[in-house]
Amino acid sequence: MVDDPDARSGVDAAHLEGCAECGARFKNISDDARSIVSLLAVPEARVDVGRAFERVMSDRKSQPALVFPIPGASTRPFQLAFVAAIAAVALVVVAFTFSGFFFKPTTVKTVPVTVADMQALSQLAEYGTLTWTKQPQFQAATNAADASAIAGGLKPPVVTNLPAGVSKTVTYGAMSEAEATFTFSADKAKAAAASHGKTLPALPKGMDGATLTITVGPAVGEIYGNLKENSASSSSINLPQLIVARSTAPTAKSTQVTVGQLEAYILDQPGISPELKKAIKAVGDPSTTLLIPIPVEYATSKDITVQNVPGVALGDNTGVGSAVVWVKGGSVYVVAGSIKQNVAIDIANNLK
Amino acid sequence: MNLSARRMTSVRSDDEAFESLFRTEYPRVVGIANRVLADPHEAEDVAQDVFIDFHRLHSATAQYAPAWLHRAAAHASLNRLRGARRRQKREVAQALEEGERMLDPEKQVEVDEDRRQVRAALGRLAPKPAAALAMRASGLSYAEVAQALGVGIGQVGTLLRRAETALRKEVSRGTSN
Repeated sequence: MVDDPDARSGVDAAHLEGCAECGARFKNISDDARSIVSLLAVPEARVDVGRAFERVMSDRKSQPALVFPIPGASTRPFQLAFVAAIAAVALVVVAFTFSGFFFKPTTVKTVPVTVADMQALSQLAEYGTLTWTKQPQFQAATNAADASAIAGGLKPPVVTNLPAGVSKTVTYGAMSEAEATFTFSADKAKAAAASHGKTLPALPKGMDGATLTITVGPAVGEIYGNLKENSASSSSINLPQLIVARSTAPTAKSTQVTVGQLEAYILDQPGISPELKKAIKAVGDPSTTLLIPIPVEYATSKDITVQNVPGVALGDNTGVGSAVVWVKGGSVYVVAGSIKQNVAIDIANNLK
Repeated sequence: MNLSARRMTSVRSDDEAFESLFRTEYPRVVGIANRVLADPHEAEDVAQDVFIDFHRLHSATAQYAPAWLHRAAAHASLNRLRGARRRQKREVAQALEEGERMLDPEKQVEVDEDRRQVRAALGRLAPKPAAALAMRASGLSYAEVAQALGVGIGQVGTLLRRAETALRKEVSRGTSN
């Protein structure tokens, strides 16, 4: 076991050459090591790698626990909830931040959305072409340092007051920075509207060919809970008990069209509710506010102060699910899980 | 290339990366498990579980992939070694299999007994030294052992020395009982 170059390197190697006493000691160590190797000796296992590979791939358990189908991105397995936390940020940006030449949030605010709103907004994706200029890479890691390295040095937040009942089993997750550009097309918009039986509001001048470039991440976080339990198939979802994540605040920039034109155009889409229009118009500076869509039929929210900055708390105190989101120091933070809202707020306030 | 075509390409390249990792590391992962369990069939079971777990949660292109697999192989096989029920089952299977091919029954009984005692001793060591011994004895370099165990390369020598001493002590204790 001492036949490795690293077993005696540099100064030690030179010393061993000239020192009879140390040389003898090293020989004893070598003899001991050899005897241990012989103790542990076994007939070599003969393996058929090809067959073994087929067996592993045909085992349903080997299928990724979850695949989040981000267009064009790596579809490596990743846990839904962490990805969802990150993707929520991306979706919010895509859906609501057509309102600026440059968007960089410094705070968060909730806006109520209905199912009809979401349908109307999701159709916007058909009004042009999305190109990933930098694809997001999701990876799980075994420790904070590896996760941080994947996320370009962004350090995962540290939970200092893990509530009783939440598993201490932690999986780290990280996402590299991603950038996508959406290019509006008058022809595509018209065709999409026609296919949905709708008439579009007039496109603002310059909208055809206008681009919206969105940058999301890097992001890094921790997932608490035993992710392997009850996950024998790719269709099963392991909801972790708690997720804490931190992402560099998303940014968006647009060309050819102004803030007012884009905002008016989006809010004029057929199907957008008056409540959503009112809420978005009430946001003071849309270029610095991260809007969190809250499905009014399914969730509640309230404005809170977290880590001495404004934040939003979603969910309730039933323990079914809650989340806290805030923006501080250029990062968006999320604490979410199957915990009570007051517990989520407490974790958020004590996050390091 | 449209979105679905790009997605397919991504999936394919991920699968290719996993296959490449599998082909390189599978024999080594089996080797580590076999060194602990002294049973090639059970070692393959462990190796397959390790790869299945890895594939579910990790990217094959992750830099830490080989180190993760080596550590998981060592710990999973040591866990099996410590499971009394499985150990008995393994020993029965092993005895039957080896009984079929052994040339000198008396000699084979001795070898079996030695192996059993060494594995029992290995199972009584703390996880880190036991894993270090298994990995090194199965051919991993000091650098690979260091990566798998998350220790500095300069610590591997000392870790192995202490592990060897502890194993020897445990083997002696086992044989004197």
